[in-house]
Amino acid sequence: MPHQVPPSVPNDDDLNTYIHIRYALLGIDISVLPESDAEAPMDQERLLANARSILRQDAEVAGFEIDPQFNLPMPFPAPFSAWTEE
Amino acid sequence: MLPQDELVSRRWFLNRMAWTSSAAAVGMALPGAAAIVHDRGSTIPEEAFTASVRPQELDDLTELTLSETMTLVRSGRLAPVDLVNAYVDRIEAYDGIYQAYSARPTREDLLTQAARTPVGGPTAPLSGACLAPKDNFYTADLLTEGGSLVFEGFQPDYDATAVSLMRAAGGLVIGKAQMGNLAGGRARQYGTTIPTTRNAWTPDDVRYSPAGSSSGTGAAVAARLAIAGIGTETGGSVIGPGNAEGLTCIKPTFGRISLHGVIPLSYTRDHVGPMARNALDVAILFQVLAQPDPNDPRTLGLPPAPNYVLAATPFGGNRPRVRWPTRVGIWPDYFSEDNGRVNQLRTDFIAELEQNSAVQIVPDVTLPDQWDELTSDPLGGSHGDPTAFFIEHLRKDVRNFADRLPRFLNGMLQSADTYVKVQQARNLLRHRMLTQLFNQCDVVLTTSTGAFDGTGLPLMCMPIGFDRESNTGNLVPRGVVMAAPPFGEERLFAVAAAWQAVTDFHRVRPPDPA
Repeated sequence: MPHQVPPSVPNDDDLNTYIHIRYALLGIDISVLPESDAEAPMDQERLLANARSILRQDAEVAGFEIDPQFNLPMPFPAPFSAWTEE
Repeated sequence: MLPQDELVSRRWFLNRMAWTSSAAAVGMALPGAAAIVHDRGSTIPEEAFTASVRPQELDDLTELTLSETMTLVRSGRLAPVDLVNAYVDRIEAYDGIYQAYSARPTREDLLTQAARTPVGGPTAPLSGACLAPKDNFYTADLLTEGGSLVFEGFQPDYDATAVSLMRAAGGLVIGKAQMGNLAGGRARQYGTTIPTTRNAWTPDDVRYSPAGSSSGTGAAVAARLAIAGIGTETGGSVIGPGNAEGLTCIKPTFGRISLHGVIPLSYTRDHVGPMARNALDVAILFQVLAQPDPNDPRTLGLPPAPNYVLAATPFGGNRPRVRWPTRVGIWPDYFSEDNGRVNQLRTDFIAELEQNSAVQIVPDVTLPDQWDELTSDPLGGSHGDPTAFFIEHLRKDVRNFADRLPRFLNGMLQSADTYVKVQQARNLLRHRMLTQLFNQCDVVLTTSTGAFDGTGLPLMCMPIGFDRESNTGNLVPRGVVMAAPPFGEERLFAVAAAWQAVTDFHRVRPPDPA
């Protein structure tokens, strides 16, 4: 079998395209924000930078190894302690 | 009987037996914490009414503490309508400067409500107490705007459970307190970065922040525009303003106070937190609010609320001490603050605790394995939570979210894989905090709130002194942050009560505006 070739790492432009498509799919229009205006409460440039960091963090988290037999997903950890006495 | 943090975990109990037994052997009292199982409108523990009223407070009713007020009202020496008039007078004189409130009932409405309040009855312990809920608590008679254009003009048709409980106990909502945009940052003009609420300690200087996001509640309580209030905390939003305003506040164990009727931010990290001027007042309000709510399943199935008021009552007579033998751990970087004065205040605070015969100081606790990885982004965050509640608002106009927009859009980019792993990491962190941190101590003095917000563990803040702030030169209060294991609120109250029995920082009143 041929060796699997890792896909190339997406650059900022690739991610911006993905982000725009994702929001458009959901009916969310971010074009109403100014493109770049540091004085505005929010602009597209800052929004996209934050969104790219979230996507890259997503890839980082995917590599986090945690034993699923001992660490089940736990939305409310503190009350769990009362129920289990642990 | 022991405080609840020990009762809920047999393993911790066994681990602690050696030390508590030795303390008892030298005469240490281990008084009971009587459990209270109460329904809405039921009584508050009798200890709440035992305050001796300082005579000078009768000259200005807004200076009375909640406990003093309750004592005077029950004995017939003070009428709820007099309290209303005193607070409304002060609000009308000064809130144009403080900007602590976003919406207020009229004086006439409040006087009508106060006149209808049962006085001195067992079901209305808060009779006439003028309270300031943050503006993310639904109120059927006042707008609830969440500090944001997203909810501008929103009028709920019911009260949040927490508001309903306060009202059922005789409390009055004297106003809705301004807050950071959708529970983030300091209060600002909606949709802008222009600050509104001022810190009560610097009413003439808008530069010094009241912190957020419970900015208005903190400022109102410190400035004597309310006797107490309730904020919410997802990431430091009660403890931050509490310390910025020199208040005593608790962020309880997750689920202890209902979130029904609160504009959500994160359904896994949001907490309601009582804010007041001293530990006893916080405990009184907490006692009223700590009830299971069928409308919020997160509050169900927890151990019954114990007697927080007793825990917050000074203990030990002329030589006050913490009610239970308590190991107080010190965070590893506790003295790394750049400001030397803050370090000195912390040193003085710990030195005073060391004088307390019930306290054992544990310097430099070691942190659980992988602490940094488990408590910082991305594993320690909750980026995905807010989006689901707000999709229709996001479709309507993203500009309404202003500076908070990324926080509310991120959930549409975060994968289910990440969401599950964040929750796994929380569980792992909780387990390690119990077995690798709270095996060393019962209470820990910490410098940040994030790990405790994420795992739902209780936090408390209180003032320990004053400091001249470096940017503005203003004299402002400084506080500590204490954390405990799940359901360790009594322990936190006991430490705060012992400290406040021998200090006056919590009594110092901020200056009025010029």
